[in-house]
Amino acid sequence: MSAAPQALIAEVTHRCPLHCVYCSNPLEMQAARNELSTEDWSGIIRQAGQLGCWHLHLTGGEPLLRRDIGELVRAGRQSGLYVNLITSGLGLTRERLRLLVESGLDHIQLSFQDSEEEAANMFAGVTAHAQKLRVAEWIREHRIAFTANLVVHRQNIDRLREGIRLAEQLGADKLEIANVQYYGWAIRNRAALLPSREQLRASLPVIEAERARLSGKMRIDYVLPDYYAKYPKPCMGGWGRSLLLIDPAGRAMPCHSAGVIPGLEFPNAAREPLQAIWEQSAAFERFRGEEWMEEPCRSCERKEIDFGGCRCQAMLIAGDAAATDPVCSLSPQRFLVDDLIEGVHVGKSNEQEWVYRIDPVGSR
Amino acid sequence: MTAREGRPVLKPGCRLSAAGDVLLIPEGALRLQGPASRIVEACDGTRTVEEIVATLLKQFPGADETKVSQETASFLNRLSERGVLEFV
Repeated sequence: MSAAPQALIAEVTHRCPLHCVYCSNPLEMQAARNELSTEDWSGIIRQAGQLGCWHLHLTGGEPLLRRDIGELVRAGRQSGLYVNLITSGLGLTRERLRLLVESGLDHIQLSFQDSEEEAANMFAGVTAHAQKLRVAEWIREHRIAFTANLVVHRQNIDRLREGIRLAEQLGADKLEIANVQYYGWAIRNRAALLPSREQLRASLPVIEAERARLSGKMRIDYVLPDYYAKYPKPCMGGWGRSLLLIDPAGRAMPCHSAGVIPGLEFPNAAREPLQAIWEQSAAFERFRGEEWMEEPCRSCERKEIDFGGCRCQAMLIAGDAAATDPVCSLSPQRFLVDDLIEGVHVGKSNEQEWVYRIDPVGSR
Repeated sequence: MTAREGRPVLKPGCRLSAAGDVLLIPEGALRLQGPASRIVEACDGTRTVEEIVATLLKQFPGADETKVSQETASFLNRLSERGVLEFV
């Protein structure tokens, strides 16, 4: 029997006004016409509360594109959940934010593509930065937690200090600086986005110094790019171990990119009870625990720390979802990652050539 | 503002669960045991640590005053270090 999930990640829509070059949503997105109704979502959220979840993360796409987002916030709060909204800030007004807070919003995570307006709008493929600055001001009118999320990559990792100053000026409680992870659309632009080892090395003392300077004022989380890690990340806190994700059409998944793994069937949470999905479904059982592990994971002392790393990355790079995450220095396939890094940095890439994510699902 | 003279209050985005046994925070949740829920409940920004201790002593008659005082202060400091609580 598995322990209750800690959080329900509700990906309420895949629609998004941004066209980020590193969009992490799956390549095949759910169309608007397949999105669950307010009633379906409310029912799922209620069940998550009963199941013992603590947090509800409302995310997307851009969750504000759903007109019923206030009702979903209220459903979360009424189900005893801590409600977090992960947003670009587009679609928010001062009044709409006030209503969300009144409905029970606890925490807002606002994304930034850069500290400089021109660059930020370029990475997002849309004019968005100025609106985000306004949203940050409105957030500080309320007693809710405010996390700023800054996405970094080869084109802007040399300007970390400016990004940190921006979050500080905006009054964020916490800044999460995340290097792009290579899933979904980001793989397409990997050659233009993956930082060099030197850039990464230079970023560490900056983070350290700024953390010390801002101690007690603003916390800074720094997520390194997997490809340069010695050991893999404990992806999703372990498969089917602490997080339960529902996609816009109701498909229950252990991780939002799990669709890249062949042979998995995702049960629909609008039709099947959440508890049965979490405890018994084949998709959640597939990589739970250690039975599925191969060597070197099986006998590794770190298997309870990183749970073998990321199954989707094993699939995407090594072609086998049950393999050790190839970013791990102990993986016999680590050379594949090293080849990728080398391929990117030995002259082949043209920094200006990248592909924006055009929303293929539109607002149908 | 130091812990000695300040009045503790939960930071924005931190609150007790409806049942009162879990402190919900942006990154997760802290399970509260024994008198910890009572202490957190009392952190409403109007009471000093000394006043919170006095309330606790009324709720748990017979408890060792020095021990309650020390443990409350150290618990509140830990929450403050975690960024969950501030002194106003």
